[in-house]
Amino acid sequence: MIQLFNVYKSFGSKNPALIDVSLTVNKGDFVFITGSSGAGKTTLLKIIFCAEKPSSGHALVNGRNLNRINDRELALLRRRIGVVFQDFKLLPRRNVFENVALALEIVGFPLSLIRKKVHQTLRYLGLANKEGYYPPQLSGGEQQRVAIARAIINNPLILLADEPTGNLDPDLTMEIMALLKEIHIRGTTVIVATHSQELLKDTRRRIVTLSKGRIV
Amino acid sequence: MKISLFRYFVRQALANILDNRLVHLVGVGTMAIAFLIFDTFVLVFVNLNHWTVEWGRPLTMSIYFKGTPEKIVLESIEKELLHFPGVTIKRFISKDDAMETLRRQLGDKAGLLDGLEENPLPASLEIILSRDKAGDPLPYQMKRKLERIESVDEVHYSEEWIERIQAIMEVIKLIGIVFGGLLFLAALFVITNTIKLTIYSRKDEIEILKLVGATNRFVKIPFLIEGSIQGFLGGSIALIILFLVYITAITRVDLRFGFASLDIIFLSPQFTLFLLLMSIIIGFIGSTVSLGRFFRI
Ligand SMILES: Nc1ncnc2c1ncn2[C@@H]1O[C@H](COP(=O)(O)OP(=O)(O)OP(=O)(O)O)[C@@H](O)[C@H]1O
Ligand SMILES: [Mg+2]
Repeated sequence: MIQLFNVYKSFGSKNPALIDVSLTVNKGDFVFITGSSGAGKTTLLKIIFCAEKPSSGHALVNGRNLNRINDRELALLRRRIGVVFQDFKLLPRRNVFENVALALEIVGFPLSLIRKKVHQTLRYLGLANKEGYYPPQLSGGEQQRVAIARAIINNPLILLADEPTGNLDPDLTMEIMALLKEIHIRGTTVIVATHSQELLKDTRRRIVTLSKGRIV
Repeated sequence: MKISLFRYFVRQALANILDNRLVHLVGVGTMAIAFLIFDTFVLVFVNLNHWTVEWGRPLTMSIYFKGTPEKIVLESIEKELLHFPGVTIKRFISKDDAMETLRRQLGDKAGLLDGLEENPLPASLEIILSRDKAGDPLPYQMKRKLERIESVDEVHYSEEWIERIQAIMEVIKLIGIVFGGLLFLAALFVITNTIKLTIYSRKDEIEILKLVGATNRFVKIPFLIEGSIQGFLGGSIALIILFLVYITAITRVDLRFGFASLDIIFLSPQFTLFLLLMSIIIGFIGSTVSLGRFFRI
């Protein structure tokens, strides 16, 4: 599903963000990516959904070589990848409903179906009473859940979650982790980037640790 | 395109306009000014054209006779001609006068004419038709009327004047096209940059749309609709201002100079509609161009 071959990523003169990263994630895997702040976790995820291109090396996602992908193929690929961004990337001037609906609108679903699915997903994430709110009116944890709703609503093949519990209290953290587990069970390949050792304490799942851009 | 998708695009475009009221206000204002300059130029051009056509009417007409017309016939024709407004009789040219003129024109070679037994040149009457007013007979109508008279052989009218005026008009048109084209480009440039402003103010939004898998088309179409709406608004405002200025100007000019014969005309409804359509197209092209620049970055 995801294969990285000797990926380097450098943003300029200083130390590269990723150094010689090779990684294979199979369909249906659940992988944690961990490492201290600045280790390159976000950069690694960005490579996978092609927000950044590798400086050298290759990345294959769902059978596509990301070094050789055109705009349209990239758009189609991204529809199969749900991303929960570390900084959420919600549209500030669209309300919760519209932000989540966006992921379905770009695919061209009919409005009635969009309404139904958005209501369902928001209820699922405990945001049913926040539909008309705008992101700046929400708490950090609520924004995070909106971001999760948008990422999962279109049943993606791959879910990339960058610190999905970074703003949540322990109870909500447990809920979100349970949610990710459920999405995983339904067949989605899940990659979670986190620096929280708490989250990894009792897990038997695969953990990839980054340190200064290298896998250790 | 699916109807639901199209509705989405229009809704998005309208929501964006409302969300970015100020930027759009500035944009529409700038466009209105650019269009107003362009439309004013077009109006001046149309009026110049109108006036030269009006003034270009006077022309000379020659009525050629079969043989030499009897004095009484000639007088009755002249009398009838003077019934038409704007007609003046210039002169009668007899067969001999015509021969005399020809001899003068031939100069040294005039001897060639000595061999002729009979003068083959026709007698003619030259008249001048002044500016055509509404309801006056047009030259070709007069020609048809006159040619029905027994002793009249043929009627010619010189198109010299018209040709000269047309030559002037060609030059004016050329200047108009060049100048108008430059104004058009300037307007397009201003408008493109204005639209770019609205696009840059939503850079983050575009980025997010693309990250969640929107195609370029999906991102661009609402902007194209917005640009077209801006063009429509800017164009309408410009035309409304132009019309108001026109109304004020004609009443003032009438009061001060009583310029009855030098009437200022407004653009025809078709032309007005055409300019409005142009504004929409410019708005559309402007957004296409600025989006192109944006997506390359
Ligand atoms: N767009 C960029 N331009 C320049 N440098 C960048 C850019 N993005 C990331 N970096 C650098 O790359 C390194 C890795 O950044 P990255 O965001 O991947 O870290 P991270 O592991 O996600 O950290 P955190 O846990 O704080 O989110 C950092 O040193 C950062 O400064
Ligand atoms: Mg990060």
